[in-house]
Amino acid sequence: MKSWTALTKAGLQTRLAAAAGAALAVALLIIPLFGDYVIWLTANMLILALFAVGFNLLFSFTGLLSFGQAAFFAVGGYVCALILLAVPSLLLGVVGGVVAAGVVALIIGFLCVRHTEIYFAMLTLAFGMMIHSIIWKWRAVTGGDDGLVGVPRAPLEIPGLLSIDMADLERYYYFVLLLVVLGIFAIWRVVRSSLGLTLQGIRDSESRVTFIGLSVMKYRLIAFTIAGLASGLAGALMVPLGRSASPAIANWTFSAEPVIATMLGGAFTFAGPIVGSFLFYIIKEIVVIFTGYWMMTLGIIVLAMVLGFRGGVVSVIQRQLLPLLERRRNDLGG
Amino acid sequence: MTFEALVYQGLIGLSLAMYLWLLAAGLTIAFGVLGVVNFAHGSLYMLGGYFAFTFYLTLQMNFWLSLLLAAVSGGVIGLIMERFFLRFIYHLDLAYQILLTFGFVLIFADAARIFWGGIPLIPPMPEILDSTVSIVGRPFPVYNLFVIFVGIAVSALLWLLLDKTSWGETVRASASDREMASALGVNIPRLFTVVFSFAAMLAALSGALGTPVRAMTPGIGTSVIIDVFIVTVIGGLGNLPGAFVGALIIGLMKAYGVLLFPDADLFMTYLIMALVLLFRPKGLLGGR
Amino acid sequence: MASKSAFNRRQFLKATAGGVALAAPFIQPAQAQDPIKIGAQGVSSGSHADYGRQIQMGARFAAEDINAKGGIMGRKVEVLYRDDELINDVALKNARFFKAQGVNFMVGTDSSGVCLALGPVLPELDLIQVFTHAATEKLTEDLVFKKGIKHIFRGSVPVYQDAILPALVFKDNKDIKRIANLGADYEYGRTSWAMFHTTLKKFRPDVEIVGETWAPFFTADFTPHISALAAKKPDLIFATPWAGEAVLMLRQATTLGVFNDIRVWWQCMGGSVDVLEGISRDVATGKFKDKLWATARYIWNWPNTPENKAFVGSFSERWGRLPNYSAECTYSAIFALKAAAEKVDSVKTADVIKALEGLELSTPAGKRVYRPEDHQAVYNVPAGRVTYNKEVAPIAYLTDLKVFPASDYFRNPPFN
Repeated sequence: MKSWTALTKAGLQTRLAAAAGAALAVALLIIPLFGDYVIWLTANMLILALFAVGFNLLFSFTGLLSFGQAAFFAVGGYVCALILLAVPSLLLGVVGGVVAAGVVALIIGFLCVRHTEIYFAMLTLAFGMMIHSIIWKWRAVTGGDDGLVGVPRAPLEIPGLLSIDMADLERYYYFVLLLVVLGIFAIWRVVRSSLGLTLQGIRDSESRVTFIGLSVMKYRLIAFTIAGLASGLAGALMVPLGRSASPAIANWTFSAEPVIATMLGGAFTFAGPIVGSFLFYIIKEIVVIFTGYWMMTLGIIVLAMVLGFRGGVVSVIQRQLLPLLERRRNDLGG
Repeated sequence: MTFEALVYQGLIGLSLAMYLWLLAAGLTIAFGVLGVVNFAHGSLYMLGGYFAFTFYLTLQMNFWLSLLLAAVSGGVIGLIMERFFLRFIYHLDLAYQILLTFGFVLIFADAARIFWGGIPLIPPMPEILDSTVSIVGRPFPVYNLFVIFVGIAVSALLWLLLDKTSWGETVRASASDREMASALGVNIPRLFTVVFSFAAMLAALSGALGTPVRAMTPGIGTSVIIDVFIVTVIGGLGNLPGAFVGALIIGLMKAYGVLLFPDADLFMTYLIMALVLLFRPKGLLGGR
Repeated sequence: MASKSAFNRRQFLKATAGGVALAAPFIQPAQAQDPIKIGAQGVSSGSHADYGRQIQMGARFAAEDINAKGGIMGRKVEVLYRDDELINDVALKNARFFKAQGVNFMVGTDSSGVCLALGPVLPELDLIQVFTHAATEKLTEDLVFKKGIKHIFRGSVPVYQDAILPALVFKDNKDIKRIANLGADYEYGRTSWAMFHTTLKKFRPDVEIVGETWAPFFTADFTPHISALAAKKPDLIFATPWAGEAVLMLRQATTLGVFNDIRVWWQCMGGSVDVLEGISRDVATGKFKDKLWATARYIWNWPNTPENKAFVGSFSERWGRLPNYSAECTYSAIFALKAAAEKVDSVKTADVIKALEGLELSTPAGKRVYRPEDHQAVYNVPAGRVTYNKEVAPIAYLTDLKVFPASDYFRNPPFN
C-alpha cells in the first residue's frame, strides 16, 4: 500500500515507467499468440537486446567501444552447440557456453584493455576476426563454414528437480525471455553497484580513479569480462533456437549490430540498447518488404542518428515526448 | 625452399604489400591528423576500383587517366564525407565518428550494387603492361612490377610532400598539436578536409590500381578493411613509415605463408598482430 | 536517473501494432482459388549478389510462364523472394516469414552451410524446399538418406559435378601425370578436391599430387598461390574458388603465364554465367590457350533441344542475360513442384513429397529424375573447354563438350 501511494504521488515519468513496464511484460508474454514468425523475431530481438546491453556496459558505462563482441557471442554459441551435441542438457549447454565466453573474454580483454579508444576498438575488431578465422579453419571441431548443424534443442533438466522439454518453439521462447531478463537484470545491478560507479568514474576520468588508488586496468577487464559473459549467454541462447551455429555469428559485421542497436535506442542510457534492438529488427523487417537495399537504408538511418538524434529514441522520448505529456497533464490540472 | 622461390615469391609479396601500403598510408594519415579512423576506408578502395573500371572500360579512357581520375573521384567522395558529415561531430565521442563512417560502409555497399550491379567486374589488361619478365628464370608479371613501382613512387611523393613542403610541415604540425597549429593561424577545418580527401584518394588509388587484376564486387569494402586495420596497428596508428613496414610484413607474410605454411594463411595475420601488440603495444614504430 | 521512462509504452504500442499486422494472414482462411505461393531465397547482397538475383529471375520467370498457361490447377503462382545474406539465422527467419505468409513451397538457397541449417527445420514448418544451388553432398546423403528428412529435395547437381566428373573427363589423358590444387579453403573446396583426386587415382594410380594451396574466402589476390603451384610444374590445376574470385584468380593466372606450361586448368564452376561474362575478353584474346576447362550445374548451350533453346531465348529476351544454372535450376524446380502437385491433385506437403519422389520431368537442362533414395535430381551436365565465338554467343561458352551419364559419377546409396 505504501508503494502504491508513493506511486500515485510520484512524477509522471515514474508512473509511465511502471505502467509501461507492466505493458511490456504483458506484451512479451503474449507474443506466442502471434505465430512462429513473430516468436522467432521476438526471440532474436531479445537475444540482441542482451547482447547490446552487454556491449553498452562497456561502451556507455566504461567508455570502451568494442567492435568484437561477436567473438564471445560465437564462443558461447559454439560451446553450447558442442555440449548439446554430446549431452542433451540445455542447462549444461548454456552454462558451458557462458563460462567459455567469459574465459575467452578474460584472455582477449587482458590483451586489449591496456589500450584505449581507437586502439581498443581496432584491437577488439581484429581479435574478433581472429576467432572468426579459427572457427572457420578448425573444421574438425567447428564444422568450418558448414557450421554445426542438427544441434538439439535439448530439454531443460535439473536432475531430480525438473525436466522441461524444449522442442516446442513457444516453450523455448519463454526460456529465452526468462534468461534475457535475468541477464539484463544482472547487468542493471552491476551498473547500479559500486562497481558500476567505479566504471563510470573511469569513463569520465582515468586519472582521478587512479589517484584514489584503484586499478583502471583491473576494472576495465572486469567490465570486459562481464560484457563477454553477457555476449556468451546471448550466443548460447541463439544456437538452440535455430539448432545450428555458423561462422557468421563471429563476423565483425555482426559485432556491429549491438553497436547500431545501442545508438538507435540511445547510448548512455540503460534502456537504450533494449529499445534499439527491437527497433533494429522491426526496421529491417519492414524495409526488406519494400526494398532489397536494406543496408543502404540502415546506413542512412545510422547517419541521421549520429548527426541529429544522438541520444537515440530514448532521448527523443525524454526530451520531446515527455515534456509534451507533462504540459498536457498540467494543462488538464494534473 | 629454393633461392629462386624466395626471390620470386618475395616480389609477389612486395606487390601485395603495395596495395596494403597505399590503403594504410591513407588511413594512418587521416588518423594522425584528424584523430579519426575511417571504417569506410575499404569502401573507398572498392569505389576506386569501380570508378577505374568505368573510366577505363565503359568510357574507354586512357588507362593512366582512368587511374588518376578514379583516385581523384575517391578524393571527392572523401571530401564530401568530411565536409558535410564528419566535420559536425569532431567534438563528440570517438565512437560517433566511427559509427558515422560505418554508416557510410553500409551505404557504399548498396550504392555499388545499385550502380554497378552484383556481377564481378574486370576490365581488360592494359596492353602495355600485359606481359611477363623473366626473373630467376620464371615469368613474372609486368603488372606486378608496375604496382611495386607505383607504391614506391607514392612513398617518395609522400615523403617529399610531408617533409619538404610547407604544406607538409603544416600537416605534421597539426598532427602533433592541433591547438597550437590553430593558434598559429592554420585553418584547421580546411586542413582536415584536405587531408581526409587525400587519404580517401590514396585508398581509391589502391583500388584503381588493382582493377585489371582484381574483380570488383560490392562486398570488397568490408573484407579489405580488416587487413588495413591490422597493417596500420602493427606499424603504429598515425605512423606513416610504420604503415609501410606493416604493409611489407603482411604482404610478404601472405606470399611466403603460402609456401611455408599452406594451411595457416589468414590466421597468421592475426597472430602477427597479436604478437606485435603484446610486446609493442603502440605498434612496431610507435603510434599516437 | 531517468532510465525506464516512457520508452516502455512506446515499445508496447509498437509491439501490438506489429503483432496485429503480422497476424493478419492467419485470420483469413486460405481458399482454393488463392494463389499458390512459392518462397525463394538466395544471396543478393555482397560479393555473390548475382546468384540470388539469378534465383529470383528463374523463379519469377517460371511463375510468369506457368501463369500464362493457366497456373497450377487453375491457381496463379506467386513468388516471394528474400535475401538470405548467406547467413543461417536470416534464412531461418525468412523461412518462418514465408510460412506466416502462407507459402506452399520453397526453392533456392546458395550456401551449403545455410541449406544444412534450413533442411532440418522444414518438417517443423511442414514445407518442401527444392534446393537449387547449394552443392554439399551432405544435404542429400546425410539429411535425406541417413536422417530421413523427406521435405528436402535438390534440383541442381551437387558437388559430384565439380569433383568427380573431371576425373572421368581427364582419366584417359596420358599427358596428365602431375596434379595440383588451388583450393577454396572451406568445406566445398576441401570436399571437391578430395573427391577429385581420390576418384582420379582409382583410374590412374600413376597420377601424382605435386602441390596443394588453400585460399580463404574473400581472397583478393591469388598470385602467391598460383605462383607456388606453378613452381611445381603441374599438368593439371584443379581450382575451386568460384564466382568473383574465379574471375580475378583466372586473370591473375594469365598474368603469371601459367597457361603456357600447364595442360589443363579445371575451373569448377567456371561455366557459371557471371564467370563467363567476366573472363570473356581473355578467352577471346586467347589468354587461356584453349586449356581452360569447366562445368556448371547447367549450361545454356546444352542440350540442343527445342525446349532448351526456347527457354534460353525467352529468358535472354526477358532479362537481357543468359540464364545461369541457378536460374534454370530454380525455374525447373518450380515446374517440378507443378508437375508433382498436378499428379496428385493437391498442394499438401505430404502428398507432393510422394509425387516428387521418382518424378521424371523434361526440363531445359534435359530429363531430370528426382531419385527417391536421396531426393536428388539426376540429370546430365557436360564439361567443356571454355571458348569464345561471337557468332555463337556474346560471352564465352563451353565447347568440346564431354557428356557422361550422371549415373556414372553421381554417388549412390549407401554413400560410403
